[in-house]
Amino acid sequence: MMKRSSIFTALLILLLPIFARGLWFYRGVPQQAEVATPDFESFAAPEPPINDSAEVNDATLQTNGIVLLDNIHLNQFNLNEIDSLTSAIQERGGRMENYADSSMFEHQLKYASAFISVSPSVPFSRTEQQSLRKFAERGGRILVLTDATRNFIYYDPVSGNPLAYGDSDSANSLLSAFDISINSDYLYNTENNEGNFRNVIFEEFGKNELTFGLKEVVLYGTHSVESLSGMILLRGSGTTLSSANDAHASSQGGAALSEDGNVAAFGDFTFLTSPYNSFTDNATLISNLADFVLSGQQNTTLQSFPFIFKEKTVQVFLTSEVLKTTELVSALSGLQTSLRAMDIEIEFTDARPRSGDAIVISSFAPVDEIESYTRKFDVTLGDGNFITTTEYGDVGRFGTGLVLFDASDKGNTLVLLADTPEDIISLIGVISSGSLSACLTGESMAVCSVGVGGDYSSESTDGAATDETTPEATPTPSG
Amino acid sequence: MSEVDNSWERTRNGLLWVAIPLILGILISTLIPKPIIGVIRLEDAIYSYTAQNMIKQIQYAIKHPEVRAVVLVFDSPGGTVVDTEAVYMELTRLREKKPVVTAVNGMAASGAYYLSVNTDYIYAKPSSMVGNIGVIGYLPPSPFVIEDIITTGPYKLWGAPRDSDMRQVEMIKQGFFQAVELGRGEKLTAGPETIYSGQIWSGIDAKRLGIADELGTETDAYNKAAQLAKVANYQTEDLAALAGVNTSGFLFFIQSPDGMSLPYPNKAGVFMLYIPPLPVK
Repeated sequence: MMKRSSIFTALLILLLPIFARGLWFYRGVPQQAEVATPDFESFAAPEPPINDSAEVNDATLQTNGIVLLDNIHLNQFNLNEIDSLTSAIQERGGRMENYADSSMFEHQLKYASAFISVSPSVPFSRTEQQSLRKFAERGGRILVLTDATRNFIYYDPVSGNPLAYGDSDSANSLLSAFDISINSDYLYNTENNEGNFRNVIFEEFGKNELTFGLKEVVLYGTHSVESLSGMILLRGSGTTLSSANDAHASSQGGAALSEDGNVAAFGDFTFLTSPYNSFTDNATLISNLADFVLSGQQNTTLQSFPFIFKEKTVQVFLTSEVLKTTELVSALSGLQTSLRAMDIEIEFTDARPRSGDAIVISSFAPVDEIESYTRKFDVTLGDGNFITTTEYGDVGRFGTGLVLFDASDKGNTLVLLADTPEDIISLIGVISSGSLSACLTGESMAVCSVGVGGDYSSESTDGAATDETTPEATPTPSG
Repeated sequence: MSEVDNSWERTRNGLLWVAIPLILGILISTLIPKPIIGVIRLEDAIYSYTAQNMIKQIQYAIKHPEVRAVVLVFDSPGGTVVDTEAVYMELTRLREKKPVVTAVNGMAASGAYYLSVNTDYIYAKPSSMVGNIGVIGYLPPSPFVIEDIITTGPYKLWGAPRDSDMRQVEMIKQGFFQAVELGRGEKLTAGPETIYSGQIWSGIDAKRLGIADELGTETDAYNKAAQLAKVANYQTEDLAALAGVNTSGFLFFIQSPDGMSLPYPNKAGVFMLYIPPLPVK
């Protein structure tokens, strides 16, 4: 009994320091919960939304418009990036032409159906702004494509911080006249996007030819665009936010159209590039854009001179008052050469053309062939020293050429009137020069100086003889 | 029996039943190791070299029972995706056996935060930078042909089409976001639109948002690790020294010509990395 208790005591004493040390260091058994980790195998990269059944209208309307492509404002793009758009334009018979010389801009805008500027980095000059405003007023189309990912990076010389200079300011220098503004931000959507938060899906569209047939469009890094008087073409959902304030604004979208429908602005052009041009309904949108730029119909006026004819052949008719002298033939050959430079042939006709493009040449003599024109433009030729116009009032008939432009569905007719054969030849020379800069020019009537005028002060306007009484000599002291 | 004999008998019994067991007990008790709170420090980006160092230290902690818990001390902007994932997976093995606590010093951003969410508790300093949850990738250039480089396929030189790379980044993001949800779960007080915005927060805001558990020091982290491991009177040991790893790193970031280290990785790729603005000149 004694021995058993001794063994028990010894055991306790043996264990005591072990327990003591154990308790000194260890206060229990930690319970490690099961560690959950991501189910990596379940993850998949988002699939590109390739649209094999995009409804692109193959039977495209063949229009022969010329589209000016801005290449003068340090545009941040490569031609291959907008290839899908230029191809669509060319498939429709359109032709792309570069705008690279500001001195030719006004001239180019006279015959272009649209002007496209992609990511400009230099603001538009006041002259360019005015020209484009008039262009749009005449019915020309303007398409401005910007992109939130196109920036020039500068480093602040003081802080060293990088500064991004994008294309929105330059684009706005043009678009502000049309009440459209591109914001210096980007749109994003973290909840519903195409592969990345900055690839914004648009499913709400302003009703317009540009959005016809669209169900879903994706822009890849887009500025927000807004227009108070115009229309938001692509509207983001409520979870589409602007990087400027991380908030949604219903007045903003990915694209907008001006009130008159002639100016469209997009905050992105990556949707034109491959492969994004084949995702969702982007191909349909590109197709619509091509139709938009080619459907611009400028109202043809004399201010569009010399691009006033629609057809490849212009009929030339000389009234019976005009004799085909050697000098006149020479002047007409100059006119022919000038028109051929614009790919237009002339065809002489003996009867006043009833349809098609035409040039009618006559003197101020009130012959029947031109009566319909003078009546239409309210011009009184008479036989005095002046001819009367509603637009310019009385104009001296000597050394003056009168140009009338009659645009109609049947054809455009240019009527050239002057007093003498010399003046007529001189007026043909002005027309052949391709410019009416020496003329007072309205929309349908121009008055040109083509020679030396007469001494009107010695003649009355009604043809009556002037009372030429000699003043009595003043008596002098010498007598 | 004489009184002398009795005295000897008592002494002998005392030695036999008390002193010897006591000495033996003391000797045996020394076999019980003093608990160690292992410390793994990351004061660099996460890339192949630093990741391998961390993995060796984690493996050491797993194998050695005296290491009862581990404290990760971060001052890191994150790093490459694959190296971050490699460490993350090893951390999971460690956590199945021992508690792991994070102490953020300067920064636990992006990939470093990805590792932090795979620990049991996160301490940050009031002005630590925490978060920047997300993935950043440099897309390859659009493919073109170079006369003097012959390849066997259009993407042999470029790796992948740009669009595919963008989608890969999105896939990697899903892993990061799920890791945060699993690691922080109901502790998060803000919605995903905030948490996954890529923002980097101060420690104070991180605590408020549930990105971190508490503001505290490294010592607080040791004590928390000890508490979770249910040990006391522990000692802290730098696991790099115990595991015999060399912590001097290689250059992960671009060096400017004047020797300044820029915050950009020296090769393109996909990263869980915070790239801060350049310092004021």
